[in-house]
Amino acid sequence: MNTTAALSSALTGTVIIESGDERGEFAGVLLASFGAEVIKLEGRRGSNSRRLGPFTTPQRDPEQSLCFCRYNLGKKSVSLEVDHPAASRVLERLAQRADIIIDSGAAADVARRLTLYRELQATQPRLIVCTITPFGLDGPYRDLNMTDLTQLAMGGVMASCGYDAQPDGVYDTPPIAPGMWQAYHIACEYAVIALTAALNFRELTGAGDLIDLSIHEAVSTCTEVALPSYIYNEAVVQRQTGRHAAEGRTRPWLRRTKDGRYVKAFLFWGKRDMRVITEMLNEAGVGHDLESEAYRELVKRSQSDAQAHFSDMIDRLVASLTADEVFHRAQAKGLLWASVRYPEENIDDPHFQARGTFQRIHHPEIGRDLSYPVSVATDGKQRVTAFDRGAPHLGEHTREVLSQVGFSDAEISALAVQGAI
Amino acid sequence: MAQSQAARRRPLEGIRVIDLTRIVAGPNATRLLATMGAEVIRVEWHDDRAIDLLRGVRPSVPGGEPGSLNRSGLFNNINPGKYGITLNLNIPQGRELFKRLIAEASVLCENYSPGQMDRWELGYETLREINPGLIYLQITGMGKSGTYKDYLSVGPTAQGLSGLTHMSGSPEPMPPAGWGYSYLDHSTGYYGAMLVLTALLQRRRTGQGCYIDASQTEVGIMVSGTATLAAQVTGTPTERYGNRMHAATWAPHGAYPCRGTDEWITIAVQTDEQWQALVAEIGAPDWARDARWQTADGRKAHEDDLDRLMAQFTQSEDRYDLMSRLQKRGVPAGIVQKSVDRFTRDPQLQERGYFVPLPQSEIGIWPIEGFPAKFQNMPVAVGGLPGRGAPCMGEDNDYVYRDILGLTSEEIAALREDLII
Repeated sequence: MNTTAALSSALTGTVIIESGDERGEFAGVLLASFGAEVIKLEGRRGSNSRRLGPFTTPQRDPEQSLCFCRYNLGKKSVSLEVDHPAASRVLERLAQRADIIIDSGAAADVARRLTLYRELQATQPRLIVCTITPFGLDGPYRDLNMTDLTQLAMGGVMASCGYDAQPDGVYDTPPIAPGMWQAYHIACEYAVIALTAALNFRELTGAGDLIDLSIHEAVSTCTEVALPSYIYNEAVVQRQTGRHAAEGRTRPWLRRTKDGRYVKAFLFWGKRDMRVITEMLNEAGVGHDLESEAYRELVKRSQSDAQAHFSDMIDRLVASLTADEVFHRAQAKGLLWASVRYPEENIDDPHFQARGTFQRIHHPEIGRDLSYPVSVATDGKQRVTAFDRGAPHLGEHTREVLSQVGFSDAEISALAVQGAI
Repeated sequence: MAQSQAARRRPLEGIRVIDLTRIVAGPNATRLLATMGAEVIRVEWHDDRAIDLLRGVRPSVPGGEPGSLNRSGLFNNINPGKYGITLNLNIPQGRELFKRLIAEASVLCENYSPGQMDRWELGYETLREINPGLIYLQITGMGKSGTYKDYLSVGPTAQGLSGLTHMSGSPEPMPPAGWGYSYLDHSTGYYGAMLVLTALLQRRRTGQGCYIDASQTEVGIMVSGTATLAAQVTGTPTERYGNRMHAATWAPHGAYPCRGTDEWITIAVQTDEQWQALVAEIGAPDWARDARWQTADGRKAHEDDLDRLMAQFTQSEDRYDLMSRLQKRGVPAGIVQKSVDRFTRDPQLQERGYFVPLPQSEIGIWPIEGFPAKFQNMPVAVGGLPGRGAPCMGEDNDYVYRDILGLTSEEIAALREDLII
């Protein structure tokens, strides 16, 4: 296929200033994957995420945090204490080069810097500013102190995720926050949608914008049937192990395989599905009675009992095979089943290798490359997004970036003496 | 351009999207494009195999004509702001009409099973001949190329394969809890929208359209956090951590039971100061003054004991009251909000106008989940150009076939008569 779909250069020439904390870091990564120049402003101690693990070495060196590396891929790092009195002069000059400013964190912290951003927009009406805060910049919950976990709780994700209740309907296990950083992922994905829409808007009108994104609202949009079930039918969905939360108890999907792994083996009780599962039982040599008169009688007598019995037969089938065997044999017969993989198992999978899902990035501190997930699509031939650099060292680009916006060596040194950079 | 003048224009003004998507992943992408002001035209057909499954699922609004396809609350929530037409793509006359629509469009989004568009001879190469500037977004479970290109998938399949199911839940011997809904249907919609928005920016610059082959499983891999990186460094498989924070010595960090039936609060202590504030708020009982809890390392090392004691304390507390008290002292805490809580008791969502009342032609006005940001300049509206909820089947046939394709009333009537539209 001959196309020109390399979206990894779609934002080439777009300059983004990223300030704030870990809540907004993924937005910068996604924008960098489209070719934007993302300049990350970090205080002199470095970003919070530099102190979060896992680390490449046991020393917990802030330069070797894999959390920082993942969420700052492809960015430049400028050391700048954004709340230092001398910082506004630096920010003003950086903003003159910038198309977008992203600022994330507690609303009070972001709001303190908002005055400056508004002043910058007054002289640069094309500038786009996006704030990412727990609840947005207004409202009664604005200043609640939140983390990824508490956002997933308040936003409704946890209420749908977890384990089955006991047979009497009582839950003895807590709701689960699926790991990790999913509240921030969701918020940052919305931020990128808003920002790329704003860039389109700017092409049409010449005007920038101020975008006030709420992590709480972003997470709230991401609970599928939970809110509509209540809004339309006043029903509250119940969490269930490894499958959709629902108003009533449903049959299990998650089944254990011969090699001690799990598969998602569900069916929609269509005749075709039941026929091919019976074929799979026969081909695997697993004893069953699904073709017997007794089972046909059971179907006539009780659909529910018949389905439970059929589900038991699927358990038997799955238990006789490895997870990979279940996955491939089921897919060959048109079933929507999958093995429950460890995420890292996909790195060497020929399918994802062929599609360029992962990109190797060199880590000199351990003398080897690590494979990062970088793309969710191809243009028919190759991945559409990629990175031209790994994550930066703290302040690695301070001098380069400040020089570009007109600071002399002496001025840069003076900023360092003042404690601003 | 003056702000007031710019404000009359939408970010995707003049962008027409032909929407061949179904269920949730694809429709979520086009929902976001409609919210940004694109003219999104859903193309549907009455055939049992073609009908969008979502039109027939709960929750639904009681009443109406038996078998009505216009009463699903979930469909209404996923498809607001779009126009709707009927068109039979199974017959050549329908496909010819479809090509005329493509000639008038900017974007095509579809999430049929792999190969369906090629079977209709409506693949990208064909459509590009008709419209060289077309942006064609194809969403499938695994992607259109690679070893698994013919494999079938829905959200839970992709979640299992990508690693997201495995990562969610308590450690072995507990099974994965996974996600209680099709998270990747939401996320893939987000990525679909951002890919199209970015491709539109590229087209504004180059004049070139493109083909985008997006994979739902790759979206799952993209949001697997640091798991793949950590596993490469440690050489050990990714584990589950329940609600605990594996990347830092944050403890207590989990969901704790509160007074009532299945009521929970999440608490995420990140610092010694927050722990001391928590202890002070609960009256510094003996158990909370144990020497083990005085340092972050101590709390983390004895997290099982700490969680047990925390749960003993919280189980008699009112969740809202406890959240409020802890938050007043700066301790990150958030209740696990169920849908009923978010819809009826969340003052933040109410004050920020999260639920947008929109009319739907058959079921009347219902609240729709909005976009999670406020904008200073851009008119962003979940009701899109038509300013309403989801379209009824074929609701906009007259508008699309008459005003866009220029057909006469007689020609439209003949198409209806021949079961082409």
